[in-house]
Amino acid sequence: MQDTFSRCNPIVNLIFYLGAIIFGMIFMHPLCLMAAAVTSITYYIYLKRIGGLKVLLGLAPVFIIISAINPLFNTRGETLLFSIGTRPYTLEALIYGVAVATMFICVILWFFTYNIVITSDKLTYLFGNVTPSLSVVFTMVLRLLPSYKRKLAAISNARKCIGKYGENGGTKDRIKNGTTVVSTLTSWALENSIVTADSMKSRGYGSSKRSNFVIYRFTSRDIWILVLMIICIVTISFCGIKGGMSYTFIPDIDFATNKFTVVGVLFYFIFLSLPIIIDVTEDVVWHFLKSRI
Amino acid sequence: MALFEIKNLSFSYPDYEDNPVLKSVNFNINQGEFITLCGKSGSGKTTLLKHLKTVLTPYGKRTGEILYKGNRLEDVDLRTQSSEIGYVMQNPDNQIVTDKVWHELAFGLESLGTPQDIMRLRVAEMASYFGIQGWFHRDVADLSGGQKQLLNLASIMAMQPKVLILDEPTSQLDPIAASDFLNTIKKINRELGTTIIITEHRLEDILSASDRVIVMDKGSVVADDAPAGIGEHLKTISSDMFEAMPTPVKIYYEVEKNGVCPLTVRDGRKWLSESFEGKDIKVSKVEEKSFDLEEVTNPVLHLKELWFRYEKNGEDILKGTNLKVKSNTIHTIVGGNGTGKSTTLKAICNICKPYRGKILIQGKAIDKYKSGELFNGMLAMLPQNPQCLFVKKTVREDLLEMIGKRDDTRILDEVVRDCQIESLLSAHPFDLSGGEQQRVALAKVLLTNPKILLLDEPTKGMDSIFKIQFADILNRLKDRGVTIVMVSHDVEFCARYADCVSMFFDGGIITSNTPHRFFVENSFYTTAANRMSRHIFDNAITNEDVIELCRKNQ
Repeated sequence: MQDTFSRCNPIVNLIFYLGAIIFGMIFMHPLCLMAAAVTSITYYIYLKRIGGLKVLLGLAPVFIIISAINPLFNTRGETLLFSIGTRPYTLEALIYGVAVATMFICVILWFFTYNIVITSDKLTYLFGNVTPSLSVVFTMVLRLLPSYKRKLAAISNARKCIGKYGENGGTKDRIKNGTTVVSTLTSWALENSIVTADSMKSRGYGSSKRSNFVIYRFTSRDIWILVLMIICIVTISFCGIKGGMSYTFIPDIDFATNKFTVVGVLFYFIFLSLPIIIDVTEDVVWHFLKSRI
Repeated sequence: MALFEIKNLSFSYPDYEDNPVLKSVNFNINQGEFITLCGKSGSGKTTLLKHLKTVLTPYGKRTGEILYKGNRLEDVDLRTQSSEIGYVMQNPDNQIVTDKVWHELAFGLESLGTPQDIMRLRVAEMASYFGIQGWFHRDVADLSGGQKQLLNLASIMAMQPKVLILDEPTSQLDPIAASDFLNTIKKINRELGTTIIITEHRLEDILSASDRVIVMDKGSVVADDAPAGIGEHLKTISSDMFEAMPTPVKIYYEVEKNGVCPLTVRDGRKWLSESFEGKDIKVSKVEEKSFDLEEVTNPVLHLKELWFRYEKNGEDILKGTNLKVKSNTIHTIVGGNGTGKSTTLKAICNICKPYRGKILIQGKAIDKYKSGELFNGMLAMLPQNPQCLFVKKTVREDLLEMIGKRDDTRILDEVVRDCQIESLLSAHPFDLSGGEQQRVALAKVLLTNPKILLLDEPTKGMDSIFKIQFADILNRLKDRGVTIVMVSHDVEFCARYADCVSMFFDGGIITSNTPHRFFVENSFYTTAANRMSRHIFDNAITNEDVIELCRKNQ
């Protein structure tokens, strides 16, 4: 079951992710990082529920390793914590490591939710607007990969049942059998692609300029969300240019704290919270609708 | 004016010019007609159909001409041909292009550059007409064979064709999906007036709906007649295509004729009742093969309460399946789609490992066999798709792969002779027709010299003439001491050739019996001959039974 944000027009989804990932990689101001961490984790947990917590726990070591490793390579910084041999291990470098790790984890989490939200058919739709023929190739690949996988299993099972594959024989035999299976798959795929090509030609592929069937509609809600997102993006960019998000970690830690910081971070937080806000609003509406029944 | 006029069409493939595939074919197709084209595999049906659409026409030497609405077909532009001439092919899987159902429906319209709003309407219309709404957003890969073929049909109907050409569209489907599909075709013809040209093995379902039946043999049209007269026609020229006619027609012409030739089971029942009206039925039973299941003391294959599921949290597919197979018999397992018949075979082959239960082969548990020992001279399976077994460039090389280092070609020659594939040895396995591929695959499996042969839907896509040859091969194997376990949807085949029939339902074998007792007890899941004659005879299940009883009671 898709969440409400996923059911918005794919263009809305795409712009959100472009914004979240690009800003996420540029802004290393601690407030921005906090905003990104809070929103990306919340949205991921919202989508994956309990299963998401396990993944987050799995990411914890990654976070620690990235944080701890940075000072080993970057020895600059004013506050010395301890030395490893002759190499100093500084607080600034450690904090910078923590910031990089946070950024890394946030972007990874955005990609995780991206995979859930932007399904293959949405991607084809987004592609299809640019170039219809590329989108056909893309959908064909999406169809063929799983079918090759199934076919591979069918071939090796069939060969196993005539005593030609699997446990019997040494490494050399196994390799030989493996190549045989792959070559069978290849000839099978080539053979069948002729039929597919016939089917495409017979349905007029290439007979005139392609149009692109769009299953998604632009609703007024999509437009509202889009307008809101663009306002956010413009404001955040403006504040960023004005230096509201500037930072230095090394040699000493210094962050901008001015009115642009306040406005910029606020809008950044609103922008990143949009999927959660949309989902939760709808959940609340449903809750009330249900209680009225 | 005729929609298609085929004038003196001859065709031969390059390099085979002295062996033409089509020999001066002449006929017209009128608007709104339902035409059934039949003929043996390799009689040129597909080649003929492919000539009706320029982009599909094979390359080769061709004489004569085809007119579409009075113009030469080559002169009709690609766009018009794409939208007005719809073509559905045999394999449900390969003609699908995209990954989503909705996208596939729109594919043809996209190719024609149809504007968005018209496309929306057409797709919506087709999804509703064909009942696709429920799976509109699904991945194509998740559909059943029947759904895939319906999708292929719908995506072509979305282009609003004037004529629909179908090349054995149901040969890869199970009987229920096939008859649903054919009913949809009839509905399209009846409700939309679309012209239909169809080639089909399953004449039972469509003969009565056809306006004309055209029979081809070796590239020429040997009969072109209304369905009621086609049997007579084939009988007089003693064509072996007569074997493909529906049960009522075959019985009618074998028994002394009176009344009109029945085409459907309903008409057949009426005709039988009329023939025997007021007469005493002296003999109402045929002799049955004696075969007692209770006495299977030493089963060659014994399944004891198998339990299996594909995923840990999934549903059980096998729920305590029990089966005893007597040695030296043909044992068939029938039952609906997705009930677990094929899974049972996979369990026997150790591809699916049951989490509970035992499989005994010749009294020895399957896991006690050493690896390699089981599939070498003991057990072998012919998969549903014979193409899975072909790995070499020629049939001969493929068969030699099985012999390995032993340069003992005596066994090879014997198997080749048994499966009647002498003439195919130098061909590429993928170039063969479905029935031929099935025979070559069988030969390959037989080279492991199995004592137990497992067959998964072997008669799928075979024409009726080839089924008889196939049954001969199986019977010869049986005489030589091979036990055959076969999963099949083909009720007619099981009734005629099996020694024992088991019904598979809900993860287990419900009942096993001899074909006579098994089919006589069923009223729905039984042969056409039985359905046609059950109100008069007690245990007639095959055409031969009915014919024999009719003659005895004349």
